[in-house]
Amino acid sequence: MDAGVASGLLHLAATDSAVPSRLLSPDAASKRPSAPGGCGGAGPSAASPLLPDALWHRLRRVSLHPTPRRSQRHITPFFLGLLALAAAAWAAPQAPSPAGKPAQPAAIGCVDCHLALDDARITPPAKLFADDIHARAGFTCAFCHGGDASAQDQEVAHDKKKGFIGKPAPRDIPALCGKCHSDAATMKQFNPSLRVDQVSEYRTSGHGKMLAKGDTRVAQCASCHGAHGIQHVKDSRSPVSPRRVAETCNGCHGNASLMADYKLPADVYAKWKKSVHYQVRVEKGDLSAPTCNSCHGNHGAAPPEVGSVANVCGTCHTVFADKFRLSPHWEPFKEMNLPGCVTCHENHEIVRPTEAFLAEGDQGKCSSCHEASSAGGKAAAAMHTDLVALSGEIRAARVKVERAAEAGMEVSRIQFELSKADDALTTARTDIHRFQAAAVHATASGGLAVAREASKAADKALAERDYRRKGLFVSLAVILAAIVALTLKIRDLKTGQPPPPVN
Amino acid sequence: MAGLKSWTQERLGWDELAHLVQKKEVPIHRWTIFYYLGGMALFLFTVQVATGILLLLYYRPSSAEAFESVQYMMADVPFGWLIRSIHSWGANLFVGVVFLHMISVFFLKAYRPPREATWITGAVLLFLAMGFGFSGYLLPWNTLAYFATKVGTDVPAQIPGIGHLLSRILRGGSDVTGATLSRFYGIHVAILPAITTVFLGVHLVLVQRHGMSVPPGIERQGKPRTMRFVPDFLLRDMVGWLVAVALLAALAAFLPWELGVKADPFAPAPAGIRPEWYFLWMFQGLKYLPAKIAGIPGETLGVFFLGGLALVLAILPLLDRKRSRLWNAAAVVVLIGAALLTVLSLLPRKSMP
Repeated sequence: MDAGVASGLLHLAATDSAVPSRLLSPDAASKRPSAPGGCGGAGPSAASPLLPDALWHRLRRVSLHPTPRRSQRHITPFFLGLLALAAAAWAAPQAPSPAGKPAQPAAIGCVDCHLALDDARITPPAKLFADDIHARAGFTCAFCHGGDASAQDQEVAHDKKKGFIGKPAPRDIPALCGKCHSDAATMKQFNPSLRVDQVSEYRTSGHGKMLAKGDTRVAQCASCHGAHGIQHVKDSRSPVSPRRVAETCNGCHGNASLMADYKLPADVYAKWKKSVHYQVRVEKGDLSAPTCNSCHGNHGAAPPEVGSVANVCGTCHTVFADKFRLSPHWEPFKEMNLPGCVTCHENHEIVRPTEAFLAEGDQGKCSSCHEASSAGGKAAAAMHTDLVALSGEIRAARVKVERAAEAGMEVSRIQFELSKADDALTTARTDIHRFQAAAVHATASGGLAVAREASKAADKALAERDYRRKGLFVSLAVILAAIVALTLKIRDLKTGQPPPPVN
Repeated sequence: MAGLKSWTQERLGWDELAHLVQKKEVPIHRWTIFYYLGGMALFLFTVQVATGILLLLYYRPSSAEAFESVQYMMADVPFGWLIRSIHSWGANLFVGVVFLHMISVFFLKAYRPPREATWITGAVLLFLAMGFGFSGYLLPWNTLAYFATKVGTDVPAQIPGIGHLLSRILRGGSDVTGATLSRFYGIHVAILPAITTVFLGVHLVLVQRHGMSVPPGIERQGKPRTMRFVPDFLLRDMVGWLVAVALLAALAAFLPWELGVKADPFAPAPAGIRPEWYFLWMFQGLKYLPAKIAGIPGETLGVFFLGGLALVLAILPLLDRKRSRLWNAAAVVVLIGAALLTVLSLLPRKSMP
């Protein structure tokens, strides 16, 4: 037992119940296991047999000894003993268990039997549960599966009269998990910041609705979080951890035959991998870029409604969404039932937008609805011209500034000025979403003037570089001439001959 | 004119000085070229003093303005870029030449009696040159210099007992701040120049007093031929100085000394922090030391070792009285070790897994 376990033990001894009595079946709560081990005995942490033992006692106290006076008689000497054990554990040198594995309790319990049976169906869950977040919090098999965890006989342990439910049916899983996760009073004892509306949300999801109708192929809690090796969602081992959630969704949503039954595309993951969001999130490692649940929600997963697309995109792209709401497209899109942002930017395969979106041609977005000769087509062309001019000027200026910087010129102020032109380009790109060419022109013109100034300053810096180099060559020529003159003078000296006599 | 000459002669005694200069001779032998290193070091020091004074006209020694003032010099002050680059490049050339001067003096055994004091003042001048480099490195207040100074000023803290006090005195507080910058500025432009003036004066007087040393091997072959210091040696010296000026000008024009990014004490330390090249071997050596050696912190032992090395270097003439060959062997080992550590510190680092 390590010091951490000992301190945890002291903590348990000092605080009130961590697991409420209502979570215990009467049988589990009333029986003290004959020896530590298993679900009701040694409990979740086989490496720390004292922890579940203490927990068991505390649970027992809560359920069987409601009056403090009676419990105190038993608990006081017991906790004194625990404190002594904790102190001994703190001070004792740590002895590694054989082969580096946690020491296994000797007694029989759910885990012991299920491990000993070495059955491909029932042994892996017992192994996985040892490192489950619930096991670490002190929960045991019986909390979900019921039965008599302390029994050494399978028939007794699996007695349905004792609440044994075996493997929960998929349809029952949300309610089973919700037993704790929907209970604020319970959850705040373990993770006060965790929400408790996951099951309610789930019932509003596509998955939840279909499960309610009896379709057990849809995702429920265990489909995404796992059943026995559950980890915190921020733990990289969790299938729904930020870096893995897309692959987990794709487990079903990339299954063409399964998706065909629901008339859903099976290429959404492949499309997302081509998106700018994937590039930023996965290739650049910026986890603020969206993955599946960022737009679809996690427990309430469902495609955003047509009318709410702009709201969903607008949670990150706020400026774009605000300007789009002010645009002449806002009302017609609603009337035409067009899905806002998705109309031009796609939903999963969202590529980095370019000025070409505004132009005629394969990539043109405006031209797919507006004729070139129409007012909309002309406005798109004007915006395209402004943006191309500005981005071209910025590019040209930046090339010069970089050349000057490589030559060692001090260009930080020019770079700062150029960043203002970058800002203007970004603003002009957001202005496009108002679809008012005059606004884009005003912003782009301001940026263009700044970029031209930066370009001139970069030209000046390059001219200065050339001036320095010319100056250097002139100086070198003068120095060389001086060296030649000195050398000639030295040759005239009769070095090594005795110096003239000094008076 | 004759009146003015006689007037100054009476008051300044030019004739005696002229007589000394005319009398001064330089031996001619196969190692004569090493005599030029002293003059080169003195010339580069003069360049540093001149450019340093010009930089003082614009430099503002505070954490809020130091970086901007150097930036202003580099971008707006006419020839500010040239002065600053020459000062930075010149500092490196100066330290390099001083190192070479000392190495040549060591192997030519020029510290033999009666020149012990010349060597000792020279060693102190080497330490002062390194002090100039260390204090000047921080003055532009850029990121690399800031973090390198943090590491550098941590080194004295390894000395048991007074280490932390020394580090605090050096920094002007518990951390590198604007107070450190003011302090380093004062050290760089006032304290070190004042001490250097004294030691350089003594060093030069002693060089004139004892004349050029002839290496023992040459001496055994008899008295070598000589050349007059003025003009024979001086003109040759001047050729070297002109080459140095040309080199500095070319470096300033083609590779202006980079200014980098302004120091941000709250930013994480960037990768690739390293001090000036002549401190790299110490920096790398301290990194290789284990945390504990025989129960004593490795870095503490390292600092004592370096301090011991400096002391041995300074008082070498007093230790090497019998001119044992072992000193040459030890010097070769130290030089190869320092060169190896410098190369190792310049190799690209493996990225962390």
